Amino acid sequence: MTTRTSPGEPPPDGRLTRRRALTLTSVFGLLGAGLVAGLSNLLFFRPRVTYGEPSRFRVGKPEAFPLGARLPLSRQRCTVIRTESGMAAISNTCTHLGCVVATTEVGFDCPCHGSRFDPDGTVLGGPAPRPLTWFRLSLSPSGEVEVDTAEAVPTGTFLKV
Amino acid sequence: MSTENGLIPALLALPRNAWRSVFRNPLPSSDLARSQTTFANLFLHIHPVKTHAYSLKPWYTMGLGVMAFSLFVVLTATGLLLMFYYVPSVEQAHNRMLDLSGTVAFGTLLRNMHRWAAHGMVGIVFLHLCRVFYTGSYRAPREFNWVVGVLLFLLTLGASFTGYLLPWDQLAYWAITVGTSIASYAPLVGEQVRFLLLGDRVVGQEALIRFYVLHVAVIPLAISLLVAVHFWRIRKDGGLSRPEDLDAPEAQADFPEAQAGKLEGLAPLAKTAKAKTFGVLGMVRGPFNKVGNTPDNTVYSWPHLFVAELFCFALVVLVVLVAALLVQAPLEAPADPTHPPNPSKAPWYFLGLQEMVSYSAFWGGVGIPTVFVLALLLLPYLDRGHRGTGVWFSRHRILATTTFTLLLVVNLVLIVIGTFFRGPNWALVVPW
Repeated sequence: MTTRTSPGEPPPDGRLTRRRALTLTSVFGLLGAGLVAGLSNLLFFRPRVTYGEPSRFRVGKPEAFPLGARLPLSRQRCTVIRTESGMAAISNTCTHLGCVVATTEVGFDCPCHGSRFDPDGTVLGGPAPRPLTWFRLSLSPSGEVEVDTAEAVPTGTFLKV
Repeated sequence: MSTENGLIPALLALPRNAWRSVFRNPLPSSDLARSQTTFANLFLHIHPVKTHAYSLKPWYTMGLGVMAFSLFVVLTATGLLLMFYYVPSVEQAHNRMLDLSGTVAFGTLLRNMHRWAAHGMVGIVFLHLCRVFYTGSYRAPREFNWVVGVLLFLLTLGASFTGYLLPWDQLAYWAITVGTSIASYAPLVGEQVRFLLLGDRVVGQEALIRFYVLHVAVIPLAISLLVAVHFWRIRKDGGLSRPEDLDAPEAQADFPEAQAGKLEGLAPLAKTAKAKTFGVLGMVRGPFNKVGNTPDNTVYSWPHLFVAELFCFALVVLVVLVAALLVQAPLEAPADPTHPPNPSKAPWYFLGLQEMVSYSAFWGGVGIPTVFVLALLLLPYLDRGHRGTGVWFSRHRILATTTFTLLLVVNLVLIVIGTFFRGPNWALVVPW
């Protein structure tokens, strides 16, 4: 491509003129800065701490839960159960679209799109793609049961008490 | 201080001089003045000096683009005012909503106007998209402007969706919970996108402040920028679309009223414009300068185009005002993250999606919408025809028209089912 130059403009001869150097430095400098800024923004928008409910909390001593108990904790969005196998905490967040499922005698019902789960959180019907998540339970040194909603365990993992 | 005039005469002439320094041209009464007023005014100069008579036919465009922009103006004005009282905090947001109706003068009216204008904008922008589709106006050379338009449609949905959360009532909370969960079904990045959007694992304070910033700053700025590009490109693409043979001499029968000078233009339309010169004003008109004996079916934008736009704006303001006076914007109980209402429903324009989501979350919420948006974006690059452009429902475009209408009807039916026929547990109910 040949460019006609205006009077006073030196003919383009391929040499690295000062103008060309300034242009290249500016363009690539800004491109690099934009790229770095874009990536930094990804990190910026990803919070390192969240301010909501803590993921670890204690629910009391095992003796407080009689055999067959199903205690829904609305703030922490999980249901603590006690069966003959032990204790477990099942998430109340529907695996379909994140609504809070209602804990019933025979399982869990999701009000948003009608998913139904059995008492273990296994899908019985509706659009939910996965069973409800089970959370890790542990016994704290004080003898209380501690739930960690940040850590999932396979369905059927009970804490022996 | 000038010694030749003196202070007193200068003071006496001050009002007139001040006025003239702002408005260089008096209200135009000649064709030259019409051109100059349109050309020299910052707010008018985005318009061409002359507009094709075909673009001014009311039933061709129905003024939908201008109406969409008018709604954006109404939303910006009412939204700015609402910002003076709103606080994006989970403790305060809902109380501030109540205060709007209880303690703020005209608070209810402003909120109602903002709510109904927002719903109206989603509807009008979509109707505008339909108009452009049915008239084949997305075709070359207007491909890029169609793409900008599709982006504006998506931004409008985004503005409405982010605004939906701000009242922090039950409706808002669960609609956003459902809506953002749909995003998490996107392959690989879904969970990350939802986490970035909410700033937390559940909808809470972080989500509220993020949606607020998106709603009042990021999205309006993006819309403003793209609207400017959208308007600019209309000019650069040769004005609104019209049949390509329109200005051929044999097509003149279409414009008897224009030929007879009945369009109330002080400029009688030249039957043929002879040997036009390329003055600056002429160049602004873009690629439609014709030299020689070609028919000229353009009229002066002042007053023909401006009156039409003014009327559209007035109509929009009137409808929004009347709707705001007659119908209260809903406000439910404060958001309760522990008790979802049964059923939880998204905003009406997403209920078609929610209905599909109840069958398959991935296909309903991510797959089909993505395919649909991609199809819209690619459309002008796939449809390279030119017959039937500029005409509603042209028989040359019967396949495209039928397909589009079918998709439209399906979405409409799904929205109606989601709105009226879904009860507790998302079970089918009969509304009567």
